[in-house]
Amino acid sequence: MDEFNDNEIARLLRLKRFEQPPPGYFENFLHEFHRRQRDELLRQPLWRICLERAHDFMFRLDVRSLASYPAAVAAVLVCAAVISLKIYQQPEPAQIALQSPPTLSLPVNDEGEWTLASPVATRIFRTQPLRSFDESAQTHRAPAPPRYVLDSVPVSYEPTFRF
Amino acid sequence: MDQPRTDEDQELVKRTQSGDASAFDQLVIKYTPRLYGLVYNMTSNHEDTNDLLQDIFSKAYKAIRGFRGKSSFYTWIHSIAVNMSLNFLKKRGRRFQLSLDDVDASIQNDKEFMEATATSSPVREADLSELQRRLNEAMMKLSDEHRAVVTMFHIQGMPHAEISKILRVSEGTVRSRLFYANRQLQNYLDEFRKNPVS
Repeated sequence: MDEFNDNEIARLLRLKRFEQPPPGYFENFLHEFHRRQRDELLRQPLWRICLERAHDFMFRLDVRSLASYPAAVAAVLVCAAVISLKIYQQPEPAQIALQSPPTLSLPVNDEGEWTLASPVATRIFRTQPLRSFDESAQTHRAPAPPRYVLDSVPVSYEPTFRF
Repeated sequence: MDQPRTDEDQELVKRTQSGDASAFDQLVIKYTPRLYGLVYNMTSNHEDTNDLLQDIFSKAYKAIRGFRGKSSFYTWIHSIAVNMSLNFLKKRGRRFQLSLDDVDASIQNDKEFMEATATSSPVREADLSELQRRLNEAMMKLSDEHRAVVTMFHIQGMPHAEISKILRVSEGTVRSRLFYANRQLQNYLDEFRKNPVS
């Protein structure tokens, strides 16, 4: 064979795989790597070391995933606040009926005695009493006539204004 | 050369990213021999190779948090090694002269090496040490980019596709560089065969 062809070139170049570093080189390489890392670390200014440590810490914590927890807690708190507000704002008709002063002792007819009261009060009053007579008798110590109140405003035959 | 298992590398990379430095040590141990061959055959100098290899792993350690796994760790670390070697060679320029110290004397006692050289007729005519020196010279006469391709393909045994990923060029470019480099090497070695004492 007078000339180097592609195969010969490839064969010759493959021989270069056998070129190796001195014995023990690979065993010591890692130690040398650690030593250089330490030296490099010592040469860095303090602020840079602190910055890198902080960066490592944040990276290890995975701040992005942790940010979802405060968001979830905040959402739960907001929901709880909204629900509790709605619950406390609901009127309790039975309690109002018990706590309000008695103002009415007679059943009402559908005639014109109610002209001086507010139309809303009249309308509600006419539909249905808040508590029946029998119920009131059971809950009150002394038997009393039924009382009809609306929003703690006494309903009366008296006019709401004085002359 | 077979590529190492990528899933094993991925696990080591994840552990390194989560702060386990010993995982990176395992990657260093695993890839040092392979990268040594790559860098050494691009620089033809043991000391330069050692320094460069330390810098390569140091840079990889700093940059591994940014490694998102779009390529394998194998490709990624080889890209760093090739790019840093090419930058080093540009800085070193043409001032570099091969010395006899760069010729590895121990290779001539290697059994596999002896068998390989015994089957090659042009090689048989030449002194092994001289041939090794000529090979290094021929390699150093190539441009840095061509030498990188020749090193990865012929010496490291990488496929064209892998080389194209590492160099971020097309496979056609890899094949073209390889063809041109082979022609150049043929010319250098033919000249040596015709004039062995020159």
